[in-house]
Amino acid sequence: MSILGQTPATEIEAPISTFEGAATRHAQSYWNESWERLRDNRIGVAAGALILVLAAIALAAPLFTLFLTHYEPYGIDLLGTFQAPGHPHLLGTDELGRDTLTRLIYGGRVTLGVAFLTVGIALTVGTTVGLVAGYYGRWLDDILMRIVDMVLSIPAIFLFILMSILFRPNPITLAMIIASVGWGGVARLVRGEVLSVKQRDFIMATRSIGARDVRLIVRHLLPNVLPVLIVAASLGVGQIILIEAALDFLGLGIQPPTASWGNMLTNSESYFFHSIWLVIFPGLTIFVTVLASNVFGNAVRDAFDPRLK
Amino acid sequence: MPPTLLEVQDLHTVFATKAGKVKAVDGVSFEISPGETLGIVGESGSGKSVTALSVMRLQRPGKIVSGKVIFNGRDLTKVSEGEMREIRGQDIAMIFQDPMTSLNPVFRTGWQVAEPVRLHHGLDKAKAMGVAVSMLGKVGIPSPATRARDYPHQFSGGMRQRAMIAMGLTTTPKVLIADEPTTALDVTIQAQILDLLRHVNRDFGTATILITHNLGVVAGMCERVMVMYAGRVVESGPTVDVFAHPKHPYTWSLLRSIPRLDAERHEPLKPIEGLPPDLIDLPTGCAFHPRCQFKIERCMHDVPVLNRVGETQLAACWVTQSGTELKGA
Repeated sequence: MSILGQTPATEIEAPISTFEGAATRHAQSYWNESWERLRDNRIGVAAGALILVLAAIALAAPLFTLFLTHYEPYGIDLLGTFQAPGHPHLLGTDELGRDTLTRLIYGGRVTLGVAFLTVGIALTVGTTVGLVAGYYGRWLDDILMRIVDMVLSIPAIFLFILMSILFRPNPITLAMIIASVGWGGVARLVRGEVLSVKQRDFIMATRSIGARDVRLIVRHLLPNVLPVLIVAASLGVGQIILIEAALDFLGLGIQPPTASWGNMLTNSESYFFHSIWLVIFPGLTIFVTVLASNVFGNAVRDAFDPRLK
Repeated sequence: MPPTLLEVQDLHTVFATKAGKVKAVDGVSFEISPGETLGIVGESGSGKSVTALSVMRLQRPGKIVSGKVIFNGRDLTKVSEGEMREIRGQDIAMIFQDPMTSLNPVFRTGWQVAEPVRLHHGLDKAKAMGVAVSMLGKVGIPSPATRARDYPHQFSGGMRQRAMIAMGLTTTPKVLIADEPTTALDVTIQAQILDLLRHVNRDFGTATILITHNLGVVAGMCERVMVMYAGRVVESGPTVDVFAHPKHPYTWSLLRSIPRLDAERHEPLKPIEGLPPDLIDLPTGCAFHPRCQFKIERCMHDVPVLNRVGETQLAACWVTQSGTELKGA
């Protein structure tokens, strides 16, 4: 108060009374609204919950195998190979007598871990590049976007083959390999969004109060492109699980004996007619997870994407 | 005369476009003293907004090619970007035309109103919010403590403009630049906002630069007025004198093109013939001469200089400078 002097302008008449009632109602932010819209979408919520459950199971894998399946993912039992689903192996065993359920749970760690890590890396790099290119524009924008164009025009599968020869794929390198292509799309998306948000007056208004570029970008631009990012992230998980599974299947991804959903399929293709459950269970897991993440992604887009409103 | 607070000398701001250079501000000079109100009028594209933005050095992608902006003895066109940031929002605040888009939709209004004090006075969140709430109250927002927690979209246009004004005032700036603050508002709200700006000017002693294309707003609010055309100042002086005896044909035509209460009955409004000039390819001589009904031979060749005409006014016009009175049907 004191810095503002003692002469208040409160004598100015304002249309007060009509707003009193309004002032007491609950403040609805963009986020609250979107969140409520998302909650109203039952199928979307179910899909999201399923992914959360799968992620929780994957995270708590040792607990599950300890109390539920009682097998080790790499525990070979040469006397019990190709056992059909049932007792004692709920989902059967593979050619080395390893428990399929246990390996699926552990494989989920790798597959989901790679998927989330990839999305994380691609989003971080893509967002940074997109924000910088969109905000500063001019030559910086030209350079960065031409790099993105190049990245997006590399035939991904050859890059993956080359990279997995150069770096022995483990979950972390695999995530980086996939993200090295994935960030380009995110950068484009974010840049486009920044270009439109940048035109709005509040950016100029924020500059006019003496804010630095960094503050402008991080505090004012980023929250405004966040909806697009959330949508990209939730749709991205499914795609990346598929890419990862394909790479594993081709032997370019996670290497055996480490279990991943993709390489469990690779091993089992030889036994397709002999022990079909070895194909069905990993395949079904991938199918359901990708489907759930796509359904969830669409629900998130319906709820969050400002352009759909 | 109180000492000058802000002085702009021969400012030139240029935009490079594919079609050529646009001289958006072409040799503008003015000054403003503490507590004064200055109106800048002109039609769209006359350079009034760019002049204001150039003072704040926010004219990007335009470039200030020459001239000085002297504030507190320092030339703002020469200081570093860091010093400029200190001045923006602290010494010189700005209010924009469209309150609908001037607030960031993702933050609570109070948070945004508090942003300048947090940036400049280093107040913590709670203290800054206190300042913001009290300021929101002063600009006439009812139950400011509750409203500060609302998001901009829960505010009406007039309330948002009040919030913008509150935001500008939290740091008690010495100069407030209002760039068409009422253009996007309806007439009753316009009156309230102008009233508020008048109070701000009187109570806080903030020198106010009001940019508008609405002559009525200037008449009601500003002590002095500056008329711009095609990036140049064509006339300036005390508002009363300029309105009573315009010394530039553009001002003269402008005043005859708007309805006024004291006009003769049945007198038709007279629009200004022709179109505003192409800023890339300005007419030679006086930029207004193709639309001017008083033009003389000289107007087509020589660019008129801003000179004293009459007792209190300055006008850039060869006709009135030679003593001719502006009269006509």
